[in-house]
Amino acid sequence: MELLLLPFLEASVRTATPLAFAALGELVTERAGVINLGLEGAIIAGCLGALVGAGVGGPGFGFLGGAAAGTAMAALFALFVITLRTDQIIAGAAITMLGLGLTGTLYRTLYGASGASLSSPTVAPVPLPLLSEIPVVGPALFAQTAPTYALYLLLPLLAWWMHRTHAGLALRATGESADAAVAAGISTTRVRWAAILFGGAMGGLSGATLVLAQVGTFNEGMSAGRGFIAIAIVVLGRWSAWGTAAASLVFGGAFALQYLFQSAGWDVPYPLFLGFPYVLTLSLLALMRGRSAAPEGLAKS
Amino acid sequence: MSAAEALVLRDVRRSFGPTVALDGATCRVRRGTVHALLGENGAGKTTLMNIAFGLVRPDAGDVLVDGAPLHPRSSADAIAAGIGMVHQHFKLVRAFTAAENVALGGHGRFDARAVAERMRRIAGETGLSVDPEARAGDLPVGAQQRLEIVKALAHDARVLILDEPTAVLAPAEGDDLLGWLRRFRDAGGTVVLITHKLREALAVADDLTVLRRGRTVLESARASVDEGAIVRAIAGDDSRDDSRDDSRDEVRHEVRGRAPSTSLAPPAKRSRTAVPTGPAVLALADVGYVDDRGVERLRGATLAVAAGETLGVLGVEGAGQRELLRILAGRLEPTTGTVRRPPRVGFIPEDRLHDALIPELPLHENLALADAGHLRGLIDWGAVVQRTAALIGRFDVRASAPTATADTLSGGNQQKFVVARERAVAVDALVAENPTRGLDLRAAALVRAGISGRDADAEPARAPAVVFYSTDIDEVLAVADRVVVCFSGEVREIPRPADPNDRTPYARAMVGAA
Repeated sequence: MELLLLPFLEASVRTATPLAFAALGELVTERAGVINLGLEGAIIAGCLGALVGAGVGGPGFGFLGGAAAGTAMAALFALFVITLRTDQIIAGAAITMLGLGLTGTLYRTLYGASGASLSSPTVAPVPLPLLSEIPVVGPALFAQTAPTYALYLLLPLLAWWMHRTHAGLALRATGESADAAVAAGISTTRVRWAAILFGGAMGGLSGATLVLAQVGTFNEGMSAGRGFIAIAIVVLGRWSAWGTAAASLVFGGAFALQYLFQSAGWDVPYPLFLGFPYVLTLSLLALMRGRSAAPEGLAKS
Repeated sequence: MSAAEALVLRDVRRSFGPTVALDGATCRVRRGTVHALLGENGAGKTTLMNIAFGLVRPDAGDVLVDGAPLHPRSSADAIAAGIGMVHQHFKLVRAFTAAENVALGGHGRFDARAVAERMRRIAGETGLSVDPEARAGDLPVGAQQRLEIVKALAHDARVLILDEPTAVLAPAEGDDLLGWLRRFRDAGGTVVLITHKLREALAVADDLTVLRRGRTVLESARASVDEGAIVRAIAGDDSRDDSRDDSRDEVRHEVRGRAPSTSLAPPAKRSRTAVPTGPAVLALADVGYVDDRGVERLRGATLAVAAGETLGVLGVEGAGQRELLRILAGRLEPTTGTVRRPPRVGFIPEDRLHDALIPELPLHENLALADAGHLRGLIDWGAVVQRTAALIGRFDVRASAPTATADTLSGGNQQKFVVARERAVAVDALVAENPTRGLDLRAAALVRAGISGRDADAEPARAPAVVFYSTDIDEVLAVADRVVVCFSGEVREIPRPADPNDRTPYARAMVGAA
């Protein structure tokens, strides 16, 4: 039993990490009243940005490159949605398609027409002394890569910031009632720009984590719907930071379970396992009733 | 221009597209006074104060605070200059706690306990107490308004602008608020009170300014002007002829023609002997209603309304009248008991922009929506536009065209249009919920006339059974043949006292006094 449980838990946390980056970013964006369906585009841009950055200056530059590429995609989205007042859903879908297409083309241009697999420097897991020796959860939580540890620090900070600072209040007020925020002297334009850019940077880091801490290379379309799953995770997490992190872990578990099933050697067609996380997304969303926890002004302007 | 004036708006102009909202408006507010800002709907009162509060930028003109020019780029600048504004439709984040709402707009760390402490201190000094932990959206309307004032005071507002603050309050609450404004003034504060209710302005104001069509037409100390002069300034009078176009002449003509019914006093009491006593059209027998959250909103409601009769309904916010009206109108089904309604019941809901009209659609499409659930097939738009044109003519709706979108109309004209639409089909019963809320005197009179079906063109024999709810006791007493009062979910008929102007039995019943 332990033989299966340990790798399962470890894989759950590992797989949850890029999901949590993207979902926490989207959480902040949605708290400002904007739903960014272009998140998938930011993630895939982050993947390529990370590959290029890491090629130039190692993994550290890779994360920077990923964040920058995700931010750039988000800036384009913000330009359309805030400045040009385009419909959020359409603009988001367009950014996702742009991201998927552009990264494929750029990759082939930069690294050869075949798009042959190119390996990138990666970051190795760093078991934390003492903590990683805790039975069962120790190796799962504390023998991970640097991005996972960064999330451990970011999560409480983000939860605290949203509720215990005036900037966090301004963010949430903008998403709940832009009118009230304006009357209180808050520039909702500035808040929305910042929230979207943050969401893009987090999406980019999500892609960078995929490349630099997990896959070690770039494949076309490797974001594989994580942007959309992250949006579902925010719903499942009831628009709270801790809830979003917990929901990310649930989905990480679903992906890990899929690997586990595949390796169990059962005589079941493997595409059934591949579909598991997506079926879970649909099932859980169907179970969530209403949008009572959603920001009141979400996707309304 | 001396610094004895806490707030001065001088010769302010502002247009929205082709509409001139302010055309040289001036308002001088002396420190330590209550200043009433009066005028009809669309006169520019709210726009002028939104400029003072930094929500709207003027095309021309000056804003001076304590004698120093202020160019607010957002309300943050106005708040910093000591101006606070309580809007007619509150600017609260409903999902936030009261303390979070108070803190909104600040910088750095948000310390909920420090804010709660500040709110308690303000409560101690001013008597305005709000639970800091309560969710703003769960608070009753009166408490939401208190919260808005506390929010302004927490930012050290010295000039408090209130836009129609008593429109949402029960009469007793309204009196409390006016009393509080007086005390705030006596403690050195300055108040700008935007209001339609002249009685209120006369009771509490030291000075007043009247706007008409974006222009200041009267500035005076309260003591040196009489009621008649104010009414003439609000509605426009003949002696000061500055009309520039024909439509103005038309308006003035109408004001003269309808003057008796639009005077300050509520419309004359109708003779009781004329009440038709036909069979009941609308009837409730022992009706109860339990809402989604399991709260009993209505119990044992029994009443009947005959054709041609007007039943007045009174009640403070949340006393059950909202559910009662919706059950009568067929928008809610009762949990227990039986209800009898005719096939067609017209309904004029309180929130016209959310529940009655689609603001972005043209008037004729809004008209076509009436009864759309029962109609099939093609629409003859030409005929609909003609019908709309005829209706807006008959009910005096000021619109540029029957095809103008609903949001281009002023509030009063939107409401007149809603009434017109409900009366356009031959309804057997009509339920009106606070239909004159926020309307000026003349628009309110026209709306009341439209609802009662006693306008010039209607045949009295086919008058519907009318249920009329209003937060204004005088208005209900004026239009109703019989009156029921809701209190805490119970509906009780209160017989008319010998003196038809005596409101005390109703005011007592509304607060549950025996």
